[in-house]
Amino acid sequence: MDNLLELSLRDLTDIQCRAVHWNDGALLVLAGPGSGKTRVLTCRVARLLESSRDDHFRILALTFTNKAAHEMANRVAALVPGLSDRADIDTFHGFCAQVVRQHGVHLGIKPNFAIYSRSADRQAVLEDALRRDSQRFGSDIRRLLSLIDDLKARMITPEQAGQCDIAWKGVASNEGDLVARAYRLYEDELRRANALDFNSLILEAYKLLGYPAMARHYQTVYRYWLIDEFQDTNGAQYELLRRMAGEHFREIFAVADDDQTIYEWNGANVRRIGTLVEEFACEVVQLPTNFRCPPQIVEAANRLVVYNASRVASKQKTKSAPGKSTNEEQVQCRVFKTDRDEVKGIAAEIAGLDVYARARTAVLARNRVLLESMYNALKHQNVPATILARRDDFVSPEMRWLVACLRQINRPLDRRNMTTLVESFGSFSSLSLDFDELVSRSVVNGVTYLSVWMEMTRDAALPSPVMAIVDAVERLAAGRTTLTPAIQQILDQFDSNDAGDDLKEDLSAWQRLSREIRVSQGFTSLERFLQELDLRSKEPVPSPGTVFLATIHGAKGLEFETVYLIGLAEEVLPSWHSVKKGVGSAALEEERRSCFVAITRARHRLILSRADQYKGWPKPPSRFLQEMGMLNGGSSTGLYSQSA
Amino acid sequence: MRITWIKIQNFRSIRSLEVDLGETTVFIGPNNAGKTAILEALRIALTRRWGQRGTGFSEYDVHLADDSADPKSSSGVSIELRSEESEPGEWSDEIVAALGHILQLDLHTGRRSVTLRTQCKWSEDTGAFEPSWEFLGAGRDPLAGRGARRVNLEPFWRYLPVFYLGALRDAGDEFAPRSSQFWTRLLKALEIPADLESRALQVLDLLNQRLLKADPRLGDIAEKISIATRIAARDREGDLALRMVPLKMWDLLSKAEIILRNEPDSPWLPLVSQGQGIQSLSVIFLFRAFVDHLLRELNEPDSEPVLALEEPETHLHPQAVRTLWRHVSELPGQKIVTTHSPYFVQHVPFRDLRLVRLKSNRTEIHSLPADYSTALPLLQGLERVVATSGGSLDYEHASETLTVHGALDEKTYRSLLECCGKHENRADLVQKVKDLRDRSSRFIDDEELRSLETYARRMRGEIFFAERWLIVEGQADYLIIHAMASALEYDLDAHGVSVIDAMNNGDPATFAALARALEIPWLAVFDGDDAGRNYKTALANRGFAANEIDYRCRTHPAGDLEAQFVTDGLGPELRNTLEALDVRDAADLDDKALLSQLRNKKSAYAAAFAVRIRGDKTLAQRAPEAFRAAIKELRGLT
Repeated sequence: MDNLLELSLRDLTDIQCRAVHWNDGALLVLAGPGSGKTRVLTCRVARLLESSRDDHFRILALTFTNKAAHEMANRVAALVPGLSDRADIDTFHGFCAQVVRQHGVHLGIKPNFAIYSRSADRQAVLEDALRRDSQRFGSDIRRLLSLIDDLKARMITPEQAGQCDIAWKGVASNEGDLVARAYRLYEDELRRANALDFNSLILEAYKLLGYPAMARHYQTVYRYWLIDEFQDTNGAQYELLRRMAGEHFREIFAVADDDQTIYEWNGANVRRIGTLVEEFACEVVQLPTNFRCPPQIVEAANRLVVYNASRVASKQKTKSAPGKSTNEEQVQCRVFKTDRDEVKGIAAEIAGLDVYARARTAVLARNRVLLESMYNALKHQNVPATILARRDDFVSPEMRWLVACLRQINRPLDRRNMTTLVESFGSFSSLSLDFDELVSRSVVNGVTYLSVWMEMTRDAALPSPVMAIVDAVERLAAGRTTLTPAIQQILDQFDSNDAGDDLKEDLSAWQRLSREIRVSQGFTSLERFLQELDLRSKEPVPSPGTVFLATIHGAKGLEFETVYLIGLAEEVLPSWHSVKKGVGSAALEEERRSCFVAITRARHRLILSRADQYKGWPKPPSRFLQEMGMLNGGSSTGLYSQSA
Repeated sequence: MRITWIKIQNFRSIRSLEVDLGETTVFIGPNNAGKTAILEALRIALTRRWGQRGTGFSEYDVHLADDSADPKSSSGVSIELRSEESEPGEWSDEIVAALGHILQLDLHTGRRSVTLRTQCKWSEDTGAFEPSWEFLGAGRDPLAGRGARRVNLEPFWRYLPVFYLGALRDAGDEFAPRSSQFWTRLLKALEIPADLESRALQVLDLLNQRLLKADPRLGDIAEKISIATRIAARDREGDLALRMVPLKMWDLLSKAEIILRNEPDSPWLPLVSQGQGIQSLSVIFLFRAFVDHLLRELNEPDSEPVLALEEPETHLHPQAVRTLWRHVSELPGQKIVTTHSPYFVQHVPFRDLRLVRLKSNRTEIHSLPADYSTALPLLQGLERVVATSGGSLDYEHASETLTVHGALDEKTYRSLLECCGKHENRADLVQKVKDLRDRSSRFIDDEELRSLETYARRMRGEIFFAERWLIVEGQADYLIIHAMASALEYDLDAHGVSVIDAMNNGDPATFAALARALEIPWLAVFDGDDAGRNYKTALANRGFAANEIDYRCRTHPAGDLEAQFVTDGLGPELRNTLEALDVRDAADLDDKALLSQLRNKKSAYAAAFAVRIRGDKTLAQRAPEAFRAAIKELRGLT
């Protein structure tokens, strides 16, 4: 049997093979950067499927991003054609959404709830909720919302929030009741709108799994569980797993690297790996060989990370893959006078690369501000670049309008969405409508908001290309056409030469998303399509020859031929906040891990850069440079290059 | 797994009905009442070819309010099937995993269920009736997410493979080697060891050669025909031979057929040459062989067949039909049966019976359930009432359904009304609780049903096919009223009236309760004596209202039937009848002696007198008023 799976299994190292064929309960795979963990995960899923052709049990694989899930699903499908339907490969949120859709009725949640991912939507929900109440709340909606999010992330229900005295981040003691009340109202308002937000997906699923019959159901349906990037699991996600596993379930296969924990701010915790090992009696397998990075980077990473105190005690030192040669070019440093000089200098250097090399190059930075000035510097050099970042919504009014139309067809009574529809349409067609008039006409005539809107739009006598898309929506709303052709017609109208950058990006994101949803869902109804769309990030597909710009968090799990890591200065990387916390603080250790993640993205070349001052303030070189041995002769391999 | 509940809407003669289904469920009712529609609905919803053109619904399947209604404007056909565990853990882990995305859980009992809704509506888009399917959540909303994927259908169907055996079961079709649903698959699945196969083929070759040599003309025929191959294929060395016996193993196996003989000395004959009865029966047992040997191999190890079986009694004589129930109920899997045979029904447990009737052009179903349910929101205090009901109440949170096992007692009823308290829909809720009490008051408990099984077996079959019941005390009443009705030109049999002589079969009140539960219109005529009065009291004790008892129960004012005859002035005719029965000096008997003689020879005189009444309309018109009034009332009784 010389199929793809056989071939892939043959290519595994002994230790990878051991993990793939593990059959004795819980296993933690400690996998350093570039150690082939994705390959281990996909081979394991494929092997489990292949060896159980006559069985019906399913396999659950949880990842942290839809991108990772999509990639894993594609690879598994290629390894075991026709069998991959028994693998549910999803994000934590996606899986929880599935649990709540299937069983939420026990909590009074309908299967077709919407997911509010945009903070604007959620703020509007909270505002509406508070307006209904007689109580006066402080005006800072954002702060209130983030406190509510925090409670939810800690699995505290509104009832519990009201009952116990919880110390919140900077919440005055007399404010607790107020927050609890706002939380209750916010939840009621979401329920009224038949919607859930991201944190409630986890919390509601957690509540459901509190019923023993429910946990048993998932243990029976999913005989094997795999968890990718376990180090980034937050408290809520871990509690959910524990509940679902109950007392006896042990078929858990977690892949983690404590040194890549960079989500402590989101509730991840380096110690959680230890908790997992203890509570599930995990065996541990280590994959210390880095097949991705050249030896110099591996050494730098090793030197860096030993400065951290919170690490898995038994962690083996990362090794370079045999056969990777050392060469002086592998790690280089650049020093500039100012942050402006830094981005200009790096941009000029990148502009000197050929298109082929650019497409394999990424610039990473600790924060978004730095990335944006990098983006502008590249633009100035006419180098196409894209900032990789999660987008909860489309950025162009055109696409926001299209999605709002689809939502409105699916949920004709959704008034909040109707506002988005009217506003977004207004910003690209310059038609401003009186929303109150629209609502009252709808009530008086007993027709939907959407049909009143179409009437009002028609009266406004807009240019014919605009009317063409309104017509397409009308046909779709009336059920006179199916989804795909109607949307295509609208997209064709949008996709002209004079489309702005935002719209172009959105169109490319739309193509990617509809492909991804097709792969994971097969045929789709409008409702299912929207449910999936809500869960996914709307960032565009970078066009060929584009330089990737990403925050370190955004680059997690990715790899590039050449990586520029910029801003290696104190109070930039490590951040001001972490420096203030001091040596040995958790925050500083997390910064160190960020640096570790960043440098281990490079397959071939790593360029570390810094400036002597940022925003006009002098900043000393990052301590991480020193730790990596890249400063003041401490480095035996680094090459100094001064450039102005 | 089995189907535990089905709800059908707007399908053929069915506007809306719900039925609980058991391991075996027997539908009885007149022709065209909708029995086949129920079986067809089940088959369509469970058939995997469903959805392809021509295999699902057609526009003629849409129930229409009247002749002028347009099927396109109808809300469309809807069939909901539910399969629910009878106890938690009944379904294997394999079933649970295979149906993982569509299973629903009752969090309180731990029981699992799956509900599938199949619909068919006119679509402007395609200009056709378009079928659709979806699995429903416990709250009756369609499932979203993975539960909405079409791939979930296949495993559900595989666990519940449906087979339809129509009323016309022709052994010629069902045992056809290449196209029958069971026989072909059985033959094809046969495993013949390779060495046996090669030896068998050698023997066949040898046999073929011998046969060819037996008559020299065969060789000549082959030679003549082989010229054809030489003409057709000039440049190739073709060949032609004559084959007297099968050439391949499958050719041989496909010749397999059932032969039988009725007596040791009779000749063996093929099944198709046997009578229709044996043919029809053998198809049912062919199904059994198929399930035993092949069903799980073709589907899943835990698959349970769902057999829709029309009229298993076809062409069989009564004795055979009586034993048939046992065989049918012992068939593997779930059986959903229609029948027209009282003999078959005789042995069916009461709770398995479903009476199907057509009322104002709509199919209705009546049965003798053990539980009654209503939709009720989770009212304040409701959980406490359920908890303290001693197990007589159950509440399902997800679907907001309250179920009472047996009749709802007065105290619990009051507590439920209290729960409705100040709810904004109080009036509606109170009405629902009242309705639940009224429906559940028709409950007949197991013990009473058992006593009926014992007494009433003889007549049980036929009474369930009747449209109206007339309950009388004894056999004499039975004979006389039949004769009177006939003479008065209202033949009871022809009008679907069953006369039940309750004293010989149990107890009049039980039959009245049965009639109420099954919504069979009924009247009773009792003697005007203590016994007759006691029957009325018994009815009152069962919750029949006084005015209903007065309307439905007539009595002979003079006392028993004989006293009534004499009071009605039929003494001379009765003396005459006794004379004909060789009673000495019958003509001279005084009234008292006459009554005593009549009571002594009750059946004999009644039989003879009935013959006279039957042929004499004027005599019938002089017979007891209570009977005559009842016969008159039966016309159009509801």
